[in-house]
Amino acid sequence: MSAVQKIEELYNERGKRAKELHDAGKKVIGYFCCFVPDEIITAFDMVPYRIQGSQNDPIDEADALLEPMACPFARSCFNMALKGEYDFLDGFVAPHSCDTIERMYHIWRSNKPSPFNHMINVPHMMGPSSDVFYRKELDYFIKRLEEFSGTKLDQNKLRDTVKLYNRRRALLRELYALRKENPPRVSGTEITKVLVAGMGIPALEHIQLVQDYIDEIKGRPVPKADVLPRIFLWGNEIDDIAFIRLVEECGAHVVMDDLCTGTRFFWEDVSETNDPLDGIANRYICTHCPRSLKPQVGNRQEDMENRFGYMKEFISQWQANGVIFYIVRYCDTCELEGPDLREYLNSLKLPVLMIEDDYSTSTIGQLRTRIQAFLEMIS
Amino acid sequence: MEANQQIKTTAVKGTDTARLVRAMVKNIYQSAHEAKANGQKVAYMMVASQYDEILRAMDIVPLPTENYAGLCAAKRDMDRFLLKAEADGYSQVLCSYARIGLGFDSLRKELGHIPEGSPDGGMPVPDMMLGSSAVCDPRFKWFQATSRYLEAPTFGMDVVAPPPQADLNAVRDYYIQYQRDQLSGLIEFLEKQTGKKMDKERLWEAIRLGDKAWQIWYDIDRLRVAVPSPMPSQDHFSIMVAGHYYSGTQIAVDFYQKLYDEVKYKVDNKIGVIADEKYRILYGGGLPPWHTLWIFNYFESFGAVFVIENVYRGFDPVEVPSHVKDPVDYLAWRAFLRFTRYHEKARAHSGSPLVEKLLGLIDDYKIDGVAFHACRSCRATTIGQTHIKSELGKYTSIPMMQLVSDMVDLRDYSEAQWKAQISAFIEALEGRGK
Amino acid sequence: MPFAGIDIGSTMTKVVVVDDKEKMLASHIGPTGVEHRHLALKVMEDTIQKAGLQFENLNFIVATGYGRINVPFADKQITEITCHARGIRSLFPSVRIIIDIGGQDSKGIKLDAEGKVANFVMNDKCAAGTGRFLEVIAETLGINLVDMGEIALKANGFVQISNMCTVFAEHEVTSRLSEGAGVAEIVAGLHEAIAGRVVNMTRHLGIEKDVVVTGGGAKNVGLIKVIAGKVGFPVLTPPEPFITGALGAALVGKDFYDRGVRPAGEREKKEVTFFA
Repeated sequence: MSAVQKIEELYNERGKRAKELHDAGKKVIGYFCCFVPDEIITAFDMVPYRIQGSQNDPIDEADALLEPMACPFARSCFNMALKGEYDFLDGFVAPHSCDTIERMYHIWRSNKPSPFNHMINVPHMMGPSSDVFYRKELDYFIKRLEEFSGTKLDQNKLRDTVKLYNRRRALLRELYALRKENPPRVSGTEITKVLVAGMGIPALEHIQLVQDYIDEIKGRPVPKADVLPRIFLWGNEIDDIAFIRLVEECGAHVVMDDLCTGTRFFWEDVSETNDPLDGIANRYICTHCPRSLKPQVGNRQEDMENRFGYMKEFISQWQANGVIFYIVRYCDTCELEGPDLREYLNSLKLPVLMIEDDYSTSTIGQLRTRIQAFLEMIS
Repeated sequence: MEANQQIKTTAVKGTDTARLVRAMVKNIYQSAHEAKANGQKVAYMMVASQYDEILRAMDIVPLPTENYAGLCAAKRDMDRFLLKAEADGYSQVLCSYARIGLGFDSLRKELGHIPEGSPDGGMPVPDMMLGSSAVCDPRFKWFQATSRYLEAPTFGMDVVAPPPQADLNAVRDYYIQYQRDQLSGLIEFLEKQTGKKMDKERLWEAIRLGDKAWQIWYDIDRLRVAVPSPMPSQDHFSIMVAGHYYSGTQIAVDFYQKLYDEVKYKVDNKIGVIADEKYRILYGGGLPPWHTLWIFNYFESFGAVFVIENVYRGFDPVEVPSHVKDPVDYLAWRAFLRFTRYHEKARAHSGSPLVEKLLGLIDDYKIDGVAFHACRSCRATTIGQTHIKSELGKYTSIPMMQLVSDMVDLRDYSEAQWKAQISAFIEALEGRGK
Repeated sequence: MPFAGIDIGSTMTKVVVVDDKEKMLASHIGPTGVEHRHLALKVMEDTIQKAGLQFENLNFIVATGYGRINVPFADKQITEITCHARGIRSLFPSVRIIIDIGGQDSKGIKLDAEGKVANFVMNDKCAAGTGRFLEVIAETLGINLVDMGEIALKANGFVQISNMCTVFAEHEVTSRLSEGAGVAEIVAGLHEAIAGRVVNMTRHLGIEKDVVVTGGGAKNVGLIKVIAGKVGFPVLTPPEPFITGALGAALVGKDFYDRGVRPAGEREKKEVTFFA
């Protein structure tokens, strides 16, 4: 089977591999967002599983327990749990990412408890004391995992997993580099499948897969240059191809992203520090999610530069000429961030289309006109 | 809303003391304007952030932007601010308190002065903004966004609480340490803004006043177990102004003492909110419908009185260990103890501190029914209501209902739907044969 | 050298044929409807016939509107945003802001000094601020949709309608009626609400002169009056607001042709498949 086919299969049958591992006696630990270190879970010889929703299925059972003004991504995940689709999880870990995830953790735990349940409190403020606190929260998380597994965390193993995940990060960056070309050698739709495929399998398997995939892509004939708009995507959770495919179908290349399901979870390496937890804590507390607040710096312009400056490299190197915000509705911090970021990007002469969505493929068609008109506007 | 829609009852109504609050609210904004004129520092702030006493000790005049949003709604003058924020690109599902605040700041900037006829004279431009992560996400993110409209030094302070299942002995020290560090960071910021060192003795004094006011407030709420109810939830939504917006002042202490005396008198003389109290209702949670507070009178017209509530309450008193000698340490300890007050109980019983608290209220206040208010734009006080309702249902069979609208955005409110739901709820109460 | 534009809306299909001087040769409006989807082709054929032409004579056909995606006989599909902008600009060269109030959605479009789309906003998927909203309430009130504008003009003030959710607003209208509010005042209140909604949405773009209102809403005199009041100056309306999208589509087709773009594939004279 080619890497493309394997990715297709993993993308379409999510959880299948994790379930196999669970059935074979491995412990699978499900978690949300980008604040839970994979390295720690893997060092315990457990399998980290990034919990996803399903944009194709209506949210029904969850509505009886979780209010409709909660983030539809979270509701969708919980809906799947209620339907038994996450019964293979041996552990359930939620970071305190936002109000919705925090509230949902308690509701989930109460209605669908896993053998191991844990919440990691992640500081909203960034700064030295926040680093210390988050590190302590990780220590406590480790203590709980040690109790659950009956084994002590092996520092050398942890050092190895840091290296392992950095290898994966480097490979994903290499894959992303192929998007710099005109046209990009790999589409946004394909990238999404590769990333989603990796959310539910051990890192080592994903590394092999991405390596093979890169080789396959490099073997493809080089297409002719074109003049289609190149889009940088900013937002929160996109674990389905529907939206990105729609943008690409409307006549654009999605070339770069700043998403929880994209660069935010893998772009920066974990520093290989003497005490591996120092590097892990410093890396995972900083993920560019708008729920984390950087202390104010200078005047507004300087402050915006401090908050958003990292995107300049994404935009210039990937030659983006338009930005689309994809915000899963009811995300207060994204909705407060959006207008600021739009102002910043406009000051860089980049047009922005801001979309709020319900995280459902059934309504995505309604976005077509908006996206197409935006592309017509910037063409 | 036109006067003809207000439901009049033959009620004795609430307390007289609650009527003093109107002037206290006006005074919040009045003092801010005066302070600006006198060169005193004014700060946009978030209530219940555990830092209130620090502001008092440093002579910083607090300007609670959320309260202002509620005030605009109570005056039915919120649309122009909501619409302005939406025209500026803020989503219609974003926290409506934040939308009003951002819309107000945007209009004030555009006009170059406070918008004509703003409730209670409007808010002046602050000297600084103090966000906090206590209670919800928008409260630390909102002021960052406000920098679109005004340039003022802004500080965000983390407020952390461990989940109910956490082993408190394992996490206590570093939670308190982090809280202390965050509070110290705030003090350092304020010292820079004011050019003055914080006086620890003054902080102790503010803390003493803060604790005293909250103790009396707690005692008042304990008096409210009486039948008939001496003070309804409508009054609570007024009188909480002293505890939250005058925290750390003698004004709050005096106010609650006066209220205590009045409530005590009503209890002793069995003077109820309404003449014929049939049903005692618990306001189970969610921000109040500031736009339509007369709805409580509508309940009363059926003999149903809201006797106690679970929103904007002060925390139950806690005992900070005597070895804590520093006022900042004290604040950090107090916050931790407040947040973990029902944790042990929860672990031993339902698993949820909130369920424990509500069960306690249902029992103590002889509650016949519970009503929740789901706010479309408030994640923090709304998500979990349905779950809590079903958890409560495991321990009690009293009727419960959930009304849906928003704390300030009238566009989410349907009077017809509410009245239909309330009728059904009253029928359920009647059906229980009381 | 004729060019055609076809604007397929949820209920009506509009076709315009222009010549290379941008002069309108023919226009026609007919029903689309989910049950009558094949009628889109019929409207096209009727218009071509009206213009005394044949399919093969058309140098370029552009499809726009809700049903633009699968039009087998069109050479290109372009959104109604670009098309409205092009169509309105040909009628009003001074236009900077377009407010389109359609049956299913409403839009605000900003044009730059050269007449190109600089920015746009669309209402969210709910019916608030659209023709559909008025239609539902008209039914509740037992009056004709087309009379609503005139009725509103006769009102003595207006009754505040706060709910923009169509279902809630229906409830609200019923309770206001039962409280004795007049029909004209309620209708005026609905116009206030819709105008408030679309104008506020458009404010996001920065409102500048001239403002042109188009789409079905432009036919409603009561609504136009309220919109002008909210904008702060008079607004313009095209003589035939239903066909500005189709007109723009025809002109966009001409622009393509002038730039050397030619129809890429074979045109199939097959019915339009909706919502594929």
